[in-house]
Amino acid sequence: MIKGLGGEILWVDLTEKKIEKKPVDEKILKKYLLGAGYLSKVIYDMVPPGTDPLGPENVLGIATGTLTASMFPQSSRHVVAALSPLTDVWGESHAAGFWAPELKLAGYDAMFFTGESSNPVYLNIKDDDVSLEDAQIVWGKDVFETDDILRERHGKACRTLAIGQAGENLVRMAAVMNDRDRASARAGLGAVMGAKKLKAVCVRGTGKIEVADPQNYLKHMDKFYKRMLENPFMEGRVKFGTTSLVELMQHIGRLPSYNMKQGVFEGYEQISGDRITREFLIKPRADWSCLQRCGRYTAVEKGPYKYVGGSPEFESQSSLGSRCGNDNLESVLYSHHLCNIYGMDTISVGATISWAMEAWEEGLITSEDTGGIDLEWGNHETIVKLTEMIALREGFGDLLAEGSYRAAQKIGKGSEKFVMAVKKQEIAGQEPRAQKSMGLAAVTSARGADHLYAFPVLDEAGFDDEIRERFGKKYLPEMAERLNPKYKGIMVKMCEDYMVRVESVGLCKYGTQIPPEFYYEDVALALRIHNGLEISPEELEEIGERIVNLNRLFNVRLGITRKDDNLPKRLTDDPAPIGPSAGEVVELEQMLDEYYKVRGWDVETGVPLPETLERLGLQEEAKDIGE
Amino acid sequence: MPMTQYKYVIGDPHVCSGCMICVNTCSMFYFKVIGPEWSRVRVLRIEPGLDFPLFCRNCEDAPCMSACPNEAIFRTSKGVVMVNNKKCNGTGACIAACPYSAIHLNPDTGKAIKCIQCGECVERCPADAIWTTTSNELEERDPDGRILKLHDDHQKALYGRQSE
Repeated sequence: MIKGLGGEILWVDLTEKKIEKKPVDEKILKKYLLGAGYLSKVIYDMVPPGTDPLGPENVLGIATGTLTASMFPQSSRHVVAALSPLTDVWGESHAAGFWAPELKLAGYDAMFFTGESSNPVYLNIKDDDVSLEDAQIVWGKDVFETDDILRERHGKACRTLAIGQAGENLVRMAAVMNDRDRASARAGLGAVMGAKKLKAVCVRGTGKIEVADPQNYLKHMDKFYKRMLENPFMEGRVKFGTTSLVELMQHIGRLPSYNMKQGVFEGYEQISGDRITREFLIKPRADWSCLQRCGRYTAVEKGPYKYVGGSPEFESQSSLGSRCGNDNLESVLYSHHLCNIYGMDTISVGATISWAMEAWEEGLITSEDTGGIDLEWGNHETIVKLTEMIALREGFGDLLAEGSYRAAQKIGKGSEKFVMAVKKQEIAGQEPRAQKSMGLAAVTSARGADHLYAFPVLDEAGFDDEIRERFGKKYLPEMAERLNPKYKGIMVKMCEDYMVRVESVGLCKYGTQIPPEFYYEDVALALRIHNGLEISPEELEEIGERIVNLNRLFNVRLGITRKDDNLPKRLTDDPAPIGPSAGEVVELEQMLDEYYKVRGWDVETGVPLPETLERLGLQEEAKDIGE
Repeated sequence: MPMTQYKYVIGDPHVCSGCMICVNTCSMFYFKVIGPEWSRVRVLRIEPGLDFPLFCRNCEDAPCMSACPNEAIFRTSKGVVMVNNKKCNGTGACIAACPYSAIHLNPDTGKAIKCIQCGECVERCPADAIWTTTSNELEERDPDGRILKLHDDHQKALYGRQSE
């Protein structure tokens, strides 16, 4: 009997309005754990090629990890996955909060939604009682209003996961939000909820979680807490969250600016973490069992950009700020807040607006296209207005709501070359010419460009000791050099294997990757004392590798090969024009060769080799891709 | 509230991050489970930006004590108000009497549980947001009464019945 779980999985057929409870499939769990791994397997089996991401055949899965709701540092997380309407390939996104622990306390580890409801509904869970309710009272409402209304109705102690208007309007960058301002933002999964007419999942759980080793549990946690609290990163994390990355990234030329034309922004001090902390921070906020509290709670107290709410973090500062040439911090904070309440991915929203701004600069988009809206770099009124128009699909916002890739297909005229995306998803806030591993990671990420699939940050800030420990001495100094493409294929491969596994147990990348405090041994120990799972660090590594390969098979089945593992030409061909990384390009092909080799994938095609799949126990799935 | 020398745990809603480590420490320490309903401390988030860790205030007049028809609640020589499990049979009279919603029934045993100022959670709070105090000490530490005023200002939300 596996301990530390809710125990059951909800299967919700939205077409038939039928709810079934099934136990967690232990066979899947032992091969894939929970979270990202479990979803990878179930959705792989249920969503064949040819499925319409916004049709009833798509399956939306939401899963907690095996350690979610434990006392391990930063163990609050859940994963959302489906075929993505933005990338048309594997779509996955994650968030922290209290919703997932509440779900566990109600007795559930995951839920799958199939079909499509004829009318807007929400799922209401109160321990054993689970029902689909008419969502008329919240349909059309924003995420915060939805949270208010549902908690008024079902009790203040409930936790909600919901989409805003963006998800309802099938915006391809719509997020699945939880606990008001937490976002599973990427891959447009909010639109999958919208298409299924599923507005929210409201949960109240009053149960308990029994752990495998209650006698020694706190003793072990005390050791984990001590290590986390004594980590030199803690102080800055609490003080700035991730907001001060603006200053740090400017310093190394990795701050995407002007649609990634360059990695430095002359207005960086205006949108800096230092300024947010001094002028707008109310307090640092944590989620369940989080010691680092990188979450921000902020407010702009007066003026047109007045709001109070959660966050921002670095990604929003860079996407809605430097990437759009915008140094008006109040507008960055406010349009970030709008993304939260409408339920959208700040990365894709900012990146898509910045694409439009460059196309405007080049004369490819005119005021005829925009309905009179001025797309000059840094026009903060435009950025705020477009954020809203994207969510509501109004005017020019309707085109941008499709994401930069599809919008450029429509506009044409060569605007396609300003799309800074991989597999149709906008690249996040890492100018890869200033950190080569990030360029490779954006390309190999199964869910389209995303920094968190591998999160290869160990070459960013002098983690030589950790590189030595995790990879081996022989890779130094090259692996630790962020401008050196050498060994980055190996690094990204191993980081991916570790990160998908972190997302399968429900932990945060903060604490496991940056700072790199906890590694496989620690997670193996946590799985033992919390879940009673005896999985060696080596087996854990293999589980991660298995998940990455299954994600790849999901995409290969949809026609993805090496040709799709590609960066925009700007990043591989045009040397960075200015800043500390001036003259650099991403040596992608060299890194990719190394990556495929170490992955055991065909170097020509990027398809996993039969022996690799066999080694990982994926023989059955291997049949799906034929020769 | 009259000044007393009795100890209680208090938290600063401006500092508390809302992480629930106090809540989980408590349920794990006493009942070997993770479960807020098994915990003697609650954490309530109230926007904008407040997180309240909530404990027994160890009132001088201890209305829970006088309310119990079975005389199951008593004060130790060290001033801690405790529940005698042998006498408690879960009438819930203490719950109704407590002005701070700081006592409730363990869902498994049906017996009342409350904070006894053991300090296990205080030790583990990663934000140093909670500490053991007395009314006198708190007045010294917070002469403007900011912390208690925040609690008073949100009385209804904090001390209304938990199920609401």
